[in-house]
Amino acid sequence: MSERIFGGVLVLISLVGLFIARGFEAPFSYEPVGPKAFPMIVLALLGLFALALVFGKTEKTAWAPGPVMQRIGLLFLVVLGYALLFDRLGFVIATALVTLPVARLFGASWKQALASGVGLGIGLFYFFDRLLDVALPTGLWLNAITG
Amino acid sequence: METLTLLAQGFAVAATPENLMIALIGCFLGTVVGLLPGLGPINGVAILLPIAFAMKLPPESALILLCAVYAGCEYGGRISAILLNVPGDAGAVMTTLDGYPLAKKGLAGPALSMSAVASFTGAMVATLGIVAFAPLLAEWAIAFGPAEYFVLMVLALSCLGGLVGDSLPKAMIACLIGLLLSTVGIDSNSGVYRFTFDMLHLADGIPFIVIVIGLFAVSEILLMLQGLHANPEPIALSGRMMFNLKEFMLAKWTMLRSAVAGFFIGVLPGAGATIASAMCYASERRMAGKDHQFGEGDMRGVAAPEAANNASANGSLVPMLTLGVPGSGTTAVMMGALTLYNITPGPTLFQDQPVIVWGLIASLFIANVMLLVMNIPLIRVFVKFLSIPVWLLVPGVAAISMVGVYAVHGNTFDLIVGVLVGALGYALRVMNFPIAPFILGFVLGDMMEQNLRRALSISDGEIGVLFSSPIAIGLWVAAIAMLVGPRVARMLDSRRAVAQA
Repeated sequence: MSERIFGGVLVLISLVGLFIARGFEAPFSYEPVGPKAFPMIVLALLGLFALALVFGKTEKTAWAPGPVMQRIGLLFLVVLGYALLFDRLGFVIATALVTLPVARLFGASWKQALASGVGLGIGLFYFFDRLLDVALPTGLWLNAITG
Repeated sequence: METLTLLAQGFAVAATPENLMIALIGCFLGTVVGLLPGLGPINGVAILLPIAFAMKLPPESALILLCAVYAGCEYGGRISAILLNVPGDAGAVMTTLDGYPLAKKGLAGPALSMSAVASFTGAMVATLGIVAFAPLLAEWAIAFGPAEYFVLMVLALSCLGGLVGDSLPKAMIACLIGLLLSTVGIDSNSGVYRFTFDMLHLADGIPFIVIVIGLFAVSEILLMLQGLHANPEPIALSGRMMFNLKEFMLAKWTMLRSAVAGFFIGVLPGAGATIASAMCYASERRMAGKDHQFGEGDMRGVAAPEAANNASANGSLVPMLTLGVPGSGTTAVMMGALTLYNITPGPTLFQDQPVIVWGLIASLFIANVMLLVMNIPLIRVFVKFLSIPVWLLVPGVAAISMVGVYAVHGNTFDLIVGVLVGALGYALRVMNFPIAPFILGFVLGDMMEQNLRRALSISDGEIGVLFSSPIAIGLWVAAIAMLVGPRVARMLDSRRAVAQA
């Protein structure tokens, strides 16, 4: 069933996409094939194969059982939060904050989670920023202190 | 002769102290990534690529790092296969069949050293194969015009679509989503904004690294939580570590045969390490006749899949280096790495960038010697990594992935897109969509469109140009055969099985 729903979504996307792509007009052009041909071919094919998915033989999708799915959803939100806070809080704080729930989700004790959060935050910052010269955000709060 | 001179130049590049150091680090990291269940070559290369780019390594060094990681992963996968009965990467699935029984008999040491030698044999045979065949193929392909190129990419996509996964619509959808995402951003020919929805960050398109990290790191983390279960305790290493002469003599031809077969399977786009190791295991088992212990712990049962697996992993570099058309997910990621450095892979690569190509080939030789040395005497070090707790590993992977994406543009937007792509990748993988065609479509999308437009510009819009040359027609026929052939064969097989039953 989920495959058919997903196929339906893709059909919609391809229709909307085709509608948008129809408007890709080059102001002036020297070539016979403009900017809209390739995306429109791809979208049309996508729609066709998505229709095949909707009406074809599908298998039952083995989604994780409810409680596991909730934990996966939670993990997704945590990682999304990580992306949002990465720049603002700086690498060390964001990593330590995110490691705590992630490690807990993967079965660490509170103590282990806390230790790995602090360890990863500081250790990886030192490793990347200082040793490998890969610039990492220090966060606005640190800028305020160090000026 | 010319080849040897070029190879010697390659060794000069690969043997500088920095590049040797980089290869050593890559081999070590690769083996560790390979042995960790859940992380395979594609994850390893995907996670390390942005780091290499952020460290501003020169292109040849970055490629040496990625290839060493790739080669190392193929060695590492066998360690967890033999000691845990859990394949460290997809190519090592067949190694569990005999490796784990051997370990249970107390022969873990010989099984590990035998499989290390098999891996080495496979990789060396395949690297020699690259030296022998790649320049020829590149020379042949240099006559390709834009029309042939376009069809060649259709062929690559259909090979992958035909061989990977069980459903044609699913493989095609994965590939088309990749192609569609590659069109986002300003069209370089006309300056038209495509699918940017007035978002400034999308004007340059979605960065390759964002897609790669999303698909292979973020979605992997989500899947790891889904598949979370207590790993069995690894079997402790005890007794002798080396195989003896009798065991070697038993397996030597198995290794060589599987290495050669693995290389040619690897060269074919679409057929990767998994198919190569399964085919070689099956044929060695058949050839062994009655006198074997396959399935209960036969040395040949670890030698065959490991030789084939490594040979095909190296062989799959051939289409990427010579044609610019990667045949597997991992080589697609590596090709994306080249394009980050503004190097266009393709037949001209051998002429334009001899330093990179031959440096890479030479570093494969060096890396494999390093890996052999690491994997026999130092095997106990790697076994220690099997006990890294997953609750430390996952946040670490998450943090390193974020660092990699952040290093590209340093903005939050890319990070968020990466996480969203990860969720899409997770949903696709749970619904059994193959992911390799997705990344291949994304990598090839731009080149495909450019070649199509160039071909049609030359012919002034006449579609016939795509079917005009014998090469193009041959490629079309091959593309259709690859797309439909494997499924028809499978259908006939199952029908025959039904008829017999």
